[in-house]
Amino acid sequence: MSWTDAVRLAARSVLRRPGRAALTVVAVALAAALFTAMLTMAETARSRVLDQLSKGGPLAGIQVAAAAADPSQVDSDNPRPGAALPIDEAALRRIEVLPGVSTVLPVVTGESIVVWDDQAATPPSGTPSSGAPPDRIVDTMVGVNLARASQLPITVLSGRLPAPSSLTEVAVTPAFLARFGIGRKQLATAIGKEVELGAPRGFRDPDGSQRLRGRWVRAQVVGVVAQQAGSGGILASLQQAQAAHTWTAGGDLSADPDATTTPYSGLFVIAKGLDGVAKVRAEITGVGYSTSAPENLIATVQRYVQVVEIVLGGIGVIALAIAALGIANALLAAVRERRREIGVLKAVGARDRDVLRTFLIEAGVMGALGGLIGSILGLAVARAVAAVVDGYLTSQGLAGVQVGMPYRLGLAAVAGSVLLALLAGALPARRAARLPAREAVEL
Amino acid sequence: MPVLDDLDLDVPAGGYVALAGASGAGKTTLLALLGGLERVQSGSLSVGEYDVAALTGDDLAAYRRLTVGFVFQHFGLLDALTAVENVELAAVLAGERPSQRRERARALLDAVGMTPRASHRPGALSGGERQRVAIARALVNRPRLVLADEPTGNLDEDTSVEVLRLLESLQTERGCTLLVVTHDRALARRAEHVVTLDHGRTR
Repeated sequence: MSWTDAVRLAARSVLRRPGRAALTVVAVALAAALFTAMLTMAETARSRVLDQLSKGGPLAGIQVAAAAADPSQVDSDNPRPGAALPIDEAALRRIEVLPGVSTVLPVVTGESIVVWDDQAATPPSGTPSSGAPPDRIVDTMVGVNLARASQLPITVLSGRLPAPSSLTEVAVTPAFLARFGIGRKQLATAIGKEVELGAPRGFRDPDGSQRLRGRWVRAQVVGVVAQQAGSGGILASLQQAQAAHTWTAGGDLSADPDATTTPYSGLFVIAKGLDGVAKVRAEITGVGYSTSAPENLIATVQRYVQVVEIVLGGIGVIALAIAALGIANALLAAVRERRREIGVLKAVGARDRDVLRTFLIEAGVMGALGGLIGSILGLAVARAVAAVVDGYLTSQGLAGVQVGMPYRLGLAAVAGSVLLALLAGALPARRAARLPAREAVEL
Repeated sequence: MPVLDDLDLDVPAGGYVALAGASGAGKTTLLALLGGLERVQSGSLSVGEYDVAALTGDDLAAYRRLTVGFVFQHFGLLDALTAVENVELAAVLAGERPSQRRERARALLDAVGMTPRASHRPGALSGGERQRVAIARALVNRPRLVLADEPTGNLDEDTSVEVLRLLESLQTERGCTLLVVTHDRALARRAEHVVTLDHGRTR
């Protein structure tokens, strides 16, 4: 008997007892749904936690500070930086060619005096007791290559990122907005506002007194972000930050003690894989710079998350195993009921393996159907749960959570269901195949 | 306990033999042995060039598939399949091409007067109709030996005669050997030879 004929015969036999078949398929579907939903949620939680640890950047990201390395602290995730050590173009190139380094992204920071567009309407925190809003605050502008923002520890909470080469768009952090009295639940209200940004430049008058002059630009707030690319509340394009930095660095540095001359205030280095982070950090330390990366924390969390995944997956597998027992029970009942039919099949020429194949296909069909329905159901449940969680996180001003379509997981659930169904069907199928042909003439 | 003992039976090719006897005489066991449904414990059994007693496994299945056609008292039709699919079943197991086997099954259904009921499932057919379908199925692989176990046992008198006549005409037309088990003496007398069994021995 060909496979096609065996499938057709098995399908007919399954459909002959639709109630029993439906109940068996439902049991498998529920188990597969549980398996898929649990692992989807575990995988989502895993990526969310790791994303949180890496602040939205790659797991293999390393922060390089414009400071000398302390060799005694290279194993620490957040070592204490040593004395200031400028990062110039030559240092960047040296780090770029280190083995194990995938990408190097420069970071430029600089102080900025900020005037909020409608600060009169929203008094900043720390407002003097007179009630009059301060006319300005000082924060730090962080400039990065926004064309490669996906490789940096930046998460958009509201709005969007500034255009990669824009000189008039910025994004700000929730901490920045908090200084103007805008809470986490009102982040979106900041979008579209204008700020005046003044890069300070130090001057010393002939009489020796210090004076600061600002290079003022107007910029529009286009997004609210959580970012760890550099320490500061304003995120801008690399060009915008470099222009401000050049202005500040061109002044009398003795008149502006906060000004720095290092061309890059830091680098964000991406290693070729999480396993390579320690090696790359050691190499950068060899070049002389202090580095930090949450590698130890990530490794620890990954271990815990893996345990959770194993436990949840185990529960799903147990559910599938119980469903498989249901398949075995249904097929054993079918073998009992169809003794004569099996005998007739053999009497008209079926070989043992034809009967075995037909029963295994019956089991496989129920497993495949249940697995398919269950996978779809499980993904739907996971998405529904994620939508509720996402709504809550977003309402709290935190980055939301997205569930992808883990096709691999769905396929694994279907394949696992089929495999378990075949295993469960093996005994009844073997029993059916071994029934003697004389059953056809037994009364 | 031996069911058949000291039995010596020679059936000529193309003959029509009735196996008669009381219940428990060993008729069905003999039929099962001839059809390869039961293994011979001692002695010899040959059908044509086949030493049936020596056949095992796939060879025995092939013998049942290609050399023997069965007609059961209980019809033995699969409820999940239609009449034409039931007839096709033996050809399916023989690995025949779908178009060929479907064509032959339809021709056989036509020969037994069941064309209008070809797409009906056994549950929708009367006893006589089911047995006609069963006869068509028994003949689909052009067997040399047709074994009918009480083919009229579940039918009324008129239908019994009608079914038996059909079986006899197809046997004559196709030249196969027909062996019918029956405990009905009147029906047995219709055969060319009547072998009566009594406690496992020929009488």
